[in-house]
Amino acid sequence: MAKLLLPCLLLVLLLLAPALPAPQGRGLIVNLDTGELCLKSFQCKSGCCRHEGLLSLARCTPKAAELQGCSRKSIYNVYYKCPCESGLTCDADRTIVGSITNTDYGICIDPGSSDKRR
Amino acid sequence: MFGIWILAALLLSIAEGEEVCYDRLGCFSDDVPWSGTIERPIYKLPWSPEKIDVQFLLYTRENPVVFQEISATDNSTITYSNFKTSRKTRFIIHGFIDNGEENWLSELCDRMLSVEDVNCICVNWKKGARCQYTQASNNIRVVGAEVAYLVNVLQTQYKYSPADVHIIGHSLGAHAAGEAGKRHPGIGRITGLDPAQPYFQDTPIEVRLDKSDAEFVDVIHTDSAPMIPYLGFGMSTPIGHLDFYPNGGKEMPGCAKNAISQIVDLDGIWEGTRDFVACNHLRSYKYYSDSIIYPTGFLGYISTSYDTFEEGSGFPCPAEGCPNMGHYADKFKGKITNDITKLYLNTGEARDFALWRYKVTVTLSGKRKVRGYVNVALYGSEGNTRQHQITEGTLQPDNTYTSFLDAEVDIGTLTKVKFLWNNNWINPTLPKLGAAVITVQPGENGQVYRFCGSETVREEVLQTLTAC
Repeated sequence: MAKLLLPCLLLVLLLLAPALPAPQGRGLIVNLDTGELCLKSFQCKSGCCRHEGLLSLARCTPKAAELQGCSRKSIYNVYYKCPCESGLTCDADRTIVGSITNTDYGICIDPGSSDKRR
Repeated sequence: MFGIWILAALLLSIAEGEEVCYDRLGCFSDDVPWSGTIERPIYKLPWSPEKIDVQFLLYTRENPVVFQEISATDNSTITYSNFKTSRKTRFIIHGFIDNGEENWLSELCDRMLSVEDVNCICVNWKKGARCQYTQASNNIRVVGAEVAYLVNVLQTQYKYSPADVHIIGHSLGAHAAGEAGKRHPGIGRITGLDPAQPYFQDTPIEVRLDKSDAEFVDVIHTDSAPMIPYLGFGMSTPIGHLDFYPNGGKEMPGCAKNAISQIVDLDGIWEGTRDFVACNHLRSYKYYSDSIIYPTGFLGYISTSYDTFEEGSGFPCPAEGCPNMGHYADKFKGKITNDITKLYLNTGEARDFALWRYKVTVTLSGKRKVRGYVNVALYGSEGNTRQHQITEGTLQPDNTYTSFLDAEVDIGTLTKVKFLWNNNWINPTLPKLGAAVITVQPGENGQVYRFCGSETVREEVLQTLTAC
């Protein structure tokens, strides 16, 4: 029952979706809220479109806070780990392999802070 | 002629009211206030206990994954189960259309078992819940009667005190819990997770959940907008000893996503579809579930409305503390003085929902006023927060800006804060701005922390302030 119901429901929803008026302040293409599906980071209010793996769906995610894992800004514009919040730098080594595979990971640090890691 | 007789017979039966009686559970009538009122116009009698087929699915620390089914009519199922009279018992009752074997009920049990030794009983009445709404809202009377009957068996035959019983009900299940409490006085606690609004709001207390149904009744309201036209499924009126209205009780953050993002959920299509239909309504049990593992992350602030709460009413917590929304609400039992206690708080937009509230006051320093926004991040012994915006607009040096900040992590004892400002366009005069003093007050204990800074910084540069 539920198995049959679900695809039907989904189909109806997909047909309905374009007809639903988007409330002001958010959208379907840009200006997306945290948790909404995205393809590229420019679509997100937070400025980071993140996915878990290469084949998983990407969602808008808040940027990384200090001491959280991050990755450098990449031309792919989709991330496994979000770039840092403003004022912070992602303390990662840039490698050729890393920039191709989008895995230049590091930790967000405050460049002005005296207790920084290195 | 014959038709007129049938019509007359029908009218007569409606006017007089009917009654059904079932052995063990007693009689149920469709008289006022059960039917025939403005709130409940359609006459319906509850189905028979056999048709509804209420099942009690027991989870304990001995069997946390696979349930044991117990029955009040067959004592051997209780005797030979892992039910122990030395433990508290928590019932979980689902609502309309839902199913007692649905993941959220067993996950709730699982989380409870991780923090306490408890008999966790999921009440499955899916056969009575998957029908017309008017029928289901009458079937809950039988569900409540069945729970009361089991509690009665436990009391008479196992010397189990009803004060150790806690019934958690979601939506229609909340009113089923109310029915059980009404039939068996002395039940310790009932938690109403967004009690259903249609057919229950504004009805007399014997029809719905009410604070008279148990020694302690706490309610979480997450979908309390009116049914017409906003499709709110939950009650808005306060009905318990403590009534929590997270995020104002009407619109939950994370529930306004576009259709595809909502359905294609992190927790799968089924969870996403449920949220698409009733996201706000289902948030109530998600908050409850998270409150089990984050006891301090859901403090409710006493206020008259959500707007006054946002302005700072009820902040910080009074000397006796703030009531915890969710699992630990009963800590506040016995401290209730008011007839109605409305509590407000904010929650996150996705799991984990817990937030810790702070009042932040920033005094700016610098030479000239600029336009832009100010962000503050808090650092403590247990971690640090993201940057939270305190103010936006004209930033005047020596002025003070106050705002509330809901931190997404429990940072422990505050050690320092960081200040950052920015305007969204490039200013060739390279203005500098700083924070002279930032005071931070956690809502939990109200202790004021003071941090000072002497420098000024350019935009997008973090300024660290230390205790002073």
